[in-house]
Formats: sequence, C-alpha cells, structure tokens
Amino acid sequence: MGEEVLSIQDLQKDYGAKKVLQGINLTVERGEIIGYIGPNGAGKSTTVKLLLGIEEGYTGEIKIFGTDISDGNIDYKRRIGYVPEIAEVYDNLTGHEYLTFIGELYGMEYDRVDYKAKSLMELFGVGEVYHSRIASYSKGMRQKLLIISSMLHNPDILFLDEPINGLDANSVMIFKEILAQLAAHGKTIFYSSHIMDVVEKISSRIILLHGGNIVADGTFAELKNQNHEGTLEEIFNELTDFHEHKDIGTRFVSVVHEV
Amino acid sequence: MKDIRTLKFLDKFSSLFQRAGVDYSTMRKILQVKLLMDGRRVPTVFNQGAQRKKKKADNEGNGFLKSLWMYAFFGLLTIPFIVLGDNYLFQMSIMFGFVMFIVMTSMIADFSSVLLDIRDKNILYTRPIDKKTISAAKMMHVFIYLFYLTASIVTIPLMVGLFRHGIVFFLLSIILIILMEAFILVLTALIYMLILKFFDGEKLKDIVNYVQIGLSFTIMIGYQVLGRSFEIINFHAVLTPKWWQVFIIPMWFAAPYEVALNGHFDSFYIIFSILAISVPIVAFFVYLRLVPTFEKNLQKLAVHSVAKEKKQSKFGKTIIQLVCSSKEEQAFFRFASIMMKNERDFKLKVYPSLGFAIIMPFIFLFNSLRDGGFSSISDGKGYLTIYSTMIFIPSVIMMLKFSGKYKGAWIYKTLPLGDLSPLFKGTLKAFLVRLYLPMYFIICILFVVIFGGRVIPDLILVLLISALYSVICFIILKKAIPFSESFEAVGQTESWKVFGLMIPIVIFAGLHYLSTLVGFGVYIYIVIMLIANLFLWRKSIRA
Repeated sequence: MGEEVLSIQDLQKDYGAKKVLQGINLTVERGEIIGYIGPNGAGKSTTVKLLLGIEEGYTGEIKIFGTDISDGNIDYKRRIGYVPEIAEVYDNLTGHEYLTFIGELYGMEYDRVDYKAKSLMELFGVGEVYHSRIASYSKGMRQKLLIISSMLHNPDILFLDEPINGLDANSVMIFKEILAQLAAHGKTIFYSSHIMDVVEKISSRIILLHGGNIVADGTFAELKNQNHEGTLEEIFNELTDFHEHKDIGTRFVSVVHEV
Repeated sequence: MKDIRTLKFLDKFSSLFQRAGVDYSTMRKILQVKLLMDGRRVPTVFNQGAQRKKKKADNEGNGFLKSLWMYAFFGLLTIPFIVLGDNYLFQMSIMFGFVMFIVMTSMIADFSSVLLDIRDKNILYTRPIDKKTISAAKMMHVFIYLFYLTASIVTIPLMVGLFRHGIVFFLLSIILIILMEAFILVLTALIYMLILKFFDGEKLKDIVNYVQIGLSFTIMIGYQVLGRSFEIINFHAVLTPKWWQVFIIPMWFAAPYEVALNGHFDSFYIIFSILAISVPIVAFFVYLRLVPTFEKNLQKLAVHSVAKEKKQSKFGKTIIQLVCSSKEEQAFFRFASIMMKNERDFKLKVYPSLGFAIIMPFIFLFNSLRDGGFSSISDGKGYLTIYSTMIFIPSVIMMLKFSGKYKGAWIYKTLPLGDLSPLFKGTLKAFLVRLYLPMYFIICILFVVIFGGRVIPDLILVLLISALYSVICFIILKKAIPFSESFEAVGQTESWKVFGLMIPIVIFAGLHYLSTLVGFGVYIYIVIMLIANLFLWRKSIRA
C-alpha cells in the first residue's frame, strides 16, 4: 500500500454566486475505504461529479492515478466505477442488454461481459430477472444492477453514492463483504451515505464535508478522540453544529397532536 | 441483441467517422442501444385505439418503423398539390408547409424524449468515451430518425412528381427537403433551448405534452379531411407576391421551383430562393456552436424549481360545495380535478377526443350546409347534432380508471372509508364539471349564435341528459376505482361496451326530437330528466 491513487489540491467550484466547494485538499491511497459524509448540500456529489467528469468548470487540481484530468484525456475513466445516487438507467432495456452494453463501452468482449454480468447477477440473487426489462425491477434489484454495472470492468476506484439503498439486510451483508474484499485487493472505495452506522463500520477513513469544506478527516478512532463523542452520528451532529433535534422533535409532535 | 439494418448500412461510412476523430465502434454500440429503445416506445400516432395488442405479440417489433406507414399515408395527402397545375409557389408552399408541420410535431412528440434524455449524462459521461463520440452518436440518432420519417412521407409524392414534372423537379425537391430538415432540426433545438432558459423541466414536459395532444388531434381530423381535400382546395388560386410573405417559411422552399421550372426571375422569387438555401445552412452552424450551451441547459430538466402556492379561487370553492355534499366527496372532486389536469398520460389519451367532440356537431352541420344553405340550418333542428359530442363520454369515463401512476392507488385501501361511493361520485362530478362543462359551454355559445335563443331550453335538456348518461356509462362500464390501473391494461371487451353505449344516445336524441313536436314537450322532458338525475345519482352509485 501507500500508493497514491487520487489527489485533490485546493478544489473550488461555484454555481454562479453560490460557492459549493471552497478549497478541498485530499490525498487518497490504494486500498482505502473512505466514508465520504456530510449534510445535504455540503458538496459531496459535486466532488464526485467533478472527479468523474460529469460536471466541468472548477479551479484547483485533480489528479487521478498521477495524471491531471483537466487535459481532456479520458483514459482514467477505464479504471473508475460509479454508482449514482439516483438510479438512472435505460430501463426499457433488459438487464442483459444494459450490462453488456455498459461492458462493451469499456472495451470488453461481448461474450465475456455477458458471462460476467450473468454470474454476478446470479451471485447477487437476481439471476432470474437477467432477461427481464429493468422497468419491471424492484428497487433492490435496480440497485444491484447498478452495483454490478459499476464493477463489470474491474475498476481500481469505486465511487458509491448511497449504494445500499433498497437492499435487504442479507444483501447488505454480502455487499459489505464485497467491499472489504475489494479493499483487501487494493481497490480504493469512496463511500458516500447518510446512514452513519454503516459508514462507521466499513470505513477505514472518514471525511466529513460541511459547507464546501473538509471539517474532519481521519479514522473513526481518531475522530472519536478529537470530539469526545461516542458514535459517528453524534460526531456528525457536533461537527455540523446541529443541536436542535430535540427541540424540533418536540415541536413536530405537538403539531401532530393538533387535529 | 439484433443487428439493425440501418447500422449495417452505416458501417459503410465507418472510415469517414474514424477520420473525423470519432470512435466508430463505440458510437455504433450507443446507436444500437438507442435504436433498440426507440423500438420499444409507442409512437404518438399510434396513441389512439388499441395500440397495446402488438406488445404482447412480439416484443422486438419496432414501434417506430411500424408508425412510418402512418406517415406514408399522410404523405399521400400532398399528392394533389404536386400533380395539379404548374402554380408551384402556391402548390409547393402548401406541400412544404404540410411536411414541415408533420415532421416538426412528430419530432417534438416522439423524439423529445431522446433529445432531452438526461440519463446519458450519468450513464455515458462516466464511461471512457470521448465527447466527440457521444455527440456524434446523438447527431446520427436524430439524423436516422429524421431520414426515415421524411423518407416515408415524401417518397411516394416525389415519385409522382418525377413522372409529372420531370427530373429537375425531383432533384430540386430532394435538395430543398434536406435543407428544410436542417432548418427544422435547428428550430426545434432552439425552441427547447429558449424554453429551458426561462422555464424548468416540468414546463418543457408540459409543452411537449401539448404538442403530442395537438398531433393526435390533427391525425384524428386528418382522417376527416382526407376524403374532402380534393373538393375544398381551389387549385386556381394565384398568389401575388407580398412583402409579408417573407415570414411564411414554406414559401421560401417553394420559390426555387418557380425560378428553376417556370423561369420567373423576379427579385421576389430570387430573394426567397436565397433564403431557402442560406438560412438553413447558417442556422446549422449556429446550432453547432450552441450545442454545449444546450447540454448545459439540459441539466435544468433534473432541477425542479420551487413552485408558487396556488390559491384556490372563491368561485371554484363555491362550485365544489354546490355539487358535492359530503366532505369526502369534495376532497375526491378536488383530487380528480387535479389528476385530470396534471397527468400527462391521461391528457394525451383524452384531450384529443375532447377537441374532436367539439368539432363533431359542426362536421354534421357542415354536411347539411351543402345540402340546404345557412337559412335552412338556422331554422331547422340541426341543433340535435349536439348529441354527437356525447359519444366521447363513455370512452373518457373508461379512461378515468387508468393512470400512469396507478401504483399510488394503494392509498384508497388504507383510508378509513366505509364505502367508495364518495370517490366515484366526486370523480364523476369532477369529470362533468372540469372537462365536459367547459367544452359544452363553447358549443352552446356557438349554437346560440347559429340557431338563436330558442335553443336554450334544448341545450339545458341535453346537459341534464349528459349528466344522466354519464352515470349510466359508469354503471355499465365496470365500476373500477379511478386512477388505479395501468394504461397498458386497456382491454378489448371494454371497447365493445363503449361501442354499445352509443345506443342510449340515439334513444335520448330520438325522444328529444319527438318532444319538440309537442308544445312544452321539451320542458316536460327537462323535468323528467331532473328527477331521473336526482334518483340515479343518489341510488345507483354504490361501491
């Protein structure tokens, strides 16, 4: 380990007058599982979208596998997998059609992708819908399809945005195991979620984003020592300066009681 | 995946793409998937009638390719304008106007989902494909679509033209049509760009929806006009050039015919010809420049701007309280009104026939106008043609139980309602008040203008009969929970029932005719209908 796969220097991004990222600095090494957390609108998705080239126009420097991505060279994308937060797929295709298509876009052989996609679907317990239209899938099935489509080409970095949305507890167990094994094989994982318990358990390093800045960066143990709080949820509340949950809860219930 | 013939043809030009810096094999894969998905959409021209049958029959049939027959059929409409006479400016203006209209509306109706697909961003941009290839794929996709569409419309007319006017006409037409296509493509994109600049995605989807409704409506009317087109059109019309005609774009494309075939070298024709050639070319380059801005604005589709609160008007509130007795019924009335107003699928299925229902009585009147003349109409019993608008009531009531978001219907099951009769009553009343009444009002105003105030009692009677008839339709059609089934479940037996429900209309109309023969007959009929309404609405709507 110790090999640097991603480095971000003073990354800034604005939408007109609104500054979403105010100077992010970050280096990530091989085999890390990074819990990338923060309140809504903190700039998590924006960072990931910039890294993937879905969004453009930033200042600062992003290097992936040691090369700057701003020069328009797209080869780095071959080594990246992405699960977006909103399950956007061409859902009038079947699982088979969609996955082979995606695999081929990475330059894989049709038969090879087909074999791989089918095996992965079967292992994930959704083999029987491989030839059904995605539109007919349940939420969990869609999510599994998205996860598989992000890994078909054996990427070195994975960006996962709420990847366990809609998965049942058993599937979540499988998925956690997959992540641990991938990290052990030297893959780097960016895990973005609002479910703090899961982030706390699986991450080897946690980065907390708030208002476009990194406000915490370290292992869970380190964060715990710095903030004297017991759980990641409490640390999250502490660092994002949110203490009114009790008060708001009380007022909410009192309005519920007025019929 | 099946190999698509179009792509095999495209393969012949692969080196051309490679030379332009496009990754051909990737572009081909994207196109293959896109064409496959196109085949699975139901085109708007098939919207009317039992379109879902074929879905069961074979899953791989291309809906778009099948719809081309429909367009070929519409292309036939232009043949009279090509065949008759050498008055090219007039004839070809109409022909280009027609083709432009059809291509543009169907482009917006069926292809906007492709132009406006924001899934591309997450699915394609995150993969190792360079931007040039993605935009080339998008462009080729639109091009293939436009090519098939236009070819199916103009092939037969152009063949006819080739025989009638010779090879120069034929070649000139092909060049001009290509220019026209470029113009349409750019125009559509610019319209989208403008809308997206000022509004959000929901508004754009609404506008696309209205264009779809308009196209369906035009196609319904098209059947009616087809038979009469030869009679209505005056082929000896001579156009005298006027300056404002510069704004009638199809005329640009008609002018070159006058220059090339009739040897008219007036400045008027020359200017139009130059416009026809230069504007599309300039527009195309402007378009290429604007594509990046377009893509950026496209992101707005995903953003939903915060809508302002809409206050319920006092008038609307009074009406609801007037027609609905219980609280639940009022709630369902409001809910059903909103569903009818907001659901795009529902509107697409129902609004065209609503428009058609307005025109129906006038089509009948138009026929008798030729037989008798206006004075015989205004004195006669032609107002009974208003019964023809009732034909659409059963099909709309049948449609009320469908929804694109039918899964939301679980909510009824969890509600603490004794029975569902408020739901049925509220929905049915909402249909009558929100959809039927406004349409009926328009016809009434026109009828009073044509027939005079003497028909007002008759119109009131017909309104009462409509209300009664709606309940009858509702009872005979299955009492299904409104907005609770998928549109794909439209069944055949139901369609037969709708057909059978024409019979009561004839009976009602016959009774109406008889009542006009007796003094005060109409008033007696009104009283009877009032009582019948009260009785039926109370008693028979039970879940």
